[in-house]
Amino acid sequence: MSIEIKQIEKSFGRFKALKSIDFAVESGELIALLGPSGCGKTTLLRIIAGLETPDKGCILFHGEDATDRHVRDRNVGFVFQHYALFRHMTVFENIAFGLRVRPRSQRPPEAALRRKVHDLLNLVQLDWLADRYPPQLSGGQRQRIALARALAIEPKVLLLDEPFGALDARVRKDLRRWLRRLHDELHVTSVFVTHDQEEALEVADRVVVLNEGRIEQIGTPESVYDHPASPFVYQFLGDVNLFHGRVHEGEAQIGDARIIWPEQSPQDSAVFYVRPHEIDITRTAESTAAIAACISDIRTLGATVRIELERSDGQGLVEAELARDQFSTLALTKGEVVYLQPRRLKLFSTVAETTGQ
Amino acid sequence: MSSTLTSHIRTEPTWIRIILTMLALLFLIGFLFMPLLLVFSQALDKGLAAYFKALLEPNALAAIRLTLLTAAIAVPANLLFGISAAWCIAKFEFPGKSLLLTLIDLPFSVSPVVSGLIYVLLFGAQGWFGPWLQEHDIKLIFAVPGIVLATVFITFPFVARELIPLMQAQGSEEEEAAIMLGASGWQTFWRVTLPNVRWGLLYGVVLCNARAMGEFGAVSVVSGHIRGLTNTIPLHVEILYNEYNSTAAFAVASLLALLALITLAAKSLLEWQLHRQAQSRAND
Repeated sequence: MSIEIKQIEKSFGRFKALKSIDFAVESGELIALLGPSGCGKTTLLRIIAGLETPDKGCILFHGEDATDRHVRDRNVGFVFQHYALFRHMTVFENIAFGLRVRPRSQRPPEAALRRKVHDLLNLVQLDWLADRYPPQLSGGQRQRIALARALAIEPKVLLLDEPFGALDARVRKDLRRWLRRLHDELHVTSVFVTHDQEEALEVADRVVVLNEGRIEQIGTPESVYDHPASPFVYQFLGDVNLFHGRVHEGEAQIGDARIIWPEQSPQDSAVFYVRPHEIDITRTAESTAAIAACISDIRTLGATVRIELERSDGQGLVEAELARDQFSTLALTKGEVVYLQPRRLKLFSTVAETTGQ
Repeated sequence: MSSTLTSHIRTEPTWIRIILTMLALLFLIGFLFMPLLLVFSQALDKGLAAYFKALLEPNALAAIRLTLLTAAIAVPANLLFGISAAWCIAKFEFPGKSLLLTLIDLPFSVSPVVSGLIYVLLFGAQGWFGPWLQEHDIKLIFAVPGIVLATVFITFPFVARELIPLMQAQGSEEEEAAIMLGASGWQTFWRVTLPNVRWGLLYGVVLCNARAMGEFGAVSVVSGHIRGLTNTIPLHVEILYNEYNSTAAFAVASLLALLALITLAAKSLLEWQLHRQAQSRAND
């Protein structure tokens, strides 16, 4: 089922949580609402679920206005951040709940109900936990049970609020891949909320980046990462270095460095964005495009090495990231003066971008 | 060496621990066990025959019946009220919420004698509704309905006070989940909210019942002390004691003490039983 969100606004007192939110989720799509805490993403999810009412705007389910439809009648599966499993019921009864509370005429007979619950338990690969109580489960298991419970009512839409937020790093990674596979199997229109850009980029078909109650950008993970629409998106999706300089005669000028950038209109004061892994480090200045800097710190993070450098012209710190073997070939040491060459610059005042020379 | 060192760092010296433990024990013995023991020893001072004679005397039986009746009305009434008040305070936001919270505490903050007096001033012969009640031949004060009213008022906060913090701590996510799964408000209440608060509820009911049976001040004001008619157990004890009939007074008082002990035992037993049940079901 498709979802259309039209001109949604919501305030809590004087705080504007959402400002004219407008986008559509296609049928069978998996969408991530990504943003820092307080950006309104959970409020938006709760409005889609019907747990909050918008001040303005409307929600369309499959082209029909569902803004005033009661939560009960929306046929939406909701997975809460802290799972909200019924703690006094067994795992089996938790999943069976949605079927048991149906009106008598629509309630499946006990045998069919048991079969259905066990099918769902098998789907989330936890059939052996049927008789346990929620407090006896691990975080990852609770999350999967919460998902099975939401799926029991055969929802047309599945909403997940920070589904992996309370889990440790290892379980998170496993579980989000599992969720992606599950979605590919079931094709339920799904929206999930997250503040973790890695999670959004890895799992979602499309990402909606929110900030301060507004949509900053909507697009596929590749397009938002490669072509961020605003400084906020660029910074939120990864680490970033800022270089102050200007654009002059087809060149980007950063300190003494000159980077050829022909199609750019001149600008006296510009801020260039460069990702740490898009910086090359050399021992000698191979071109005028190099920025001299002194290595102030070296930290090894598994497969990559993060190097902190201080620009020789006193314009602040730069962070660069090298692959491990690249780092060992260069054999860099602390205190050494090296030359930085950005491979890619991003400038936001006008929409353009180029590869550094 | 190092372990003894750390244990020294973490705990108080032995003599302080002994003194603190002794203090607590002495206090318990002096203020709880001794009086309890005294009640039973005084009651049985003149032998079992005298003890049962005091209990089976018609006025004593009437007092016991009235106390049971009062509790049987006051406890369910406050159970209903307590659940609904806790439900709306913990799960919803509405104007006047803090005022309602304060009002619930009123019976705790007002002296029981004053609460009894309020009812006399409202429903007594000279009270606001006195003439109207007399016209319709309804007798509240110095009669059983007045005693029930005063007891309901006094035991008002127990269930609600027990449930509100519990429900607030649990939040409303489980209720939201239930509604999202298609449950009606009623189903949500019976299947999710109530089972989650059952321990607090039971505790509140036990306390409420103990107070309903033991209340003296408010009931004393509205009762009129008519023997065999408007005396509850505590009032009956007082009358007997004032008549220097201390054996009978302690015999009847021992009923209340016994009630307290049974209440405590029942509560512990139930908790233990239900805990075991949950464990064994979990281990299947």
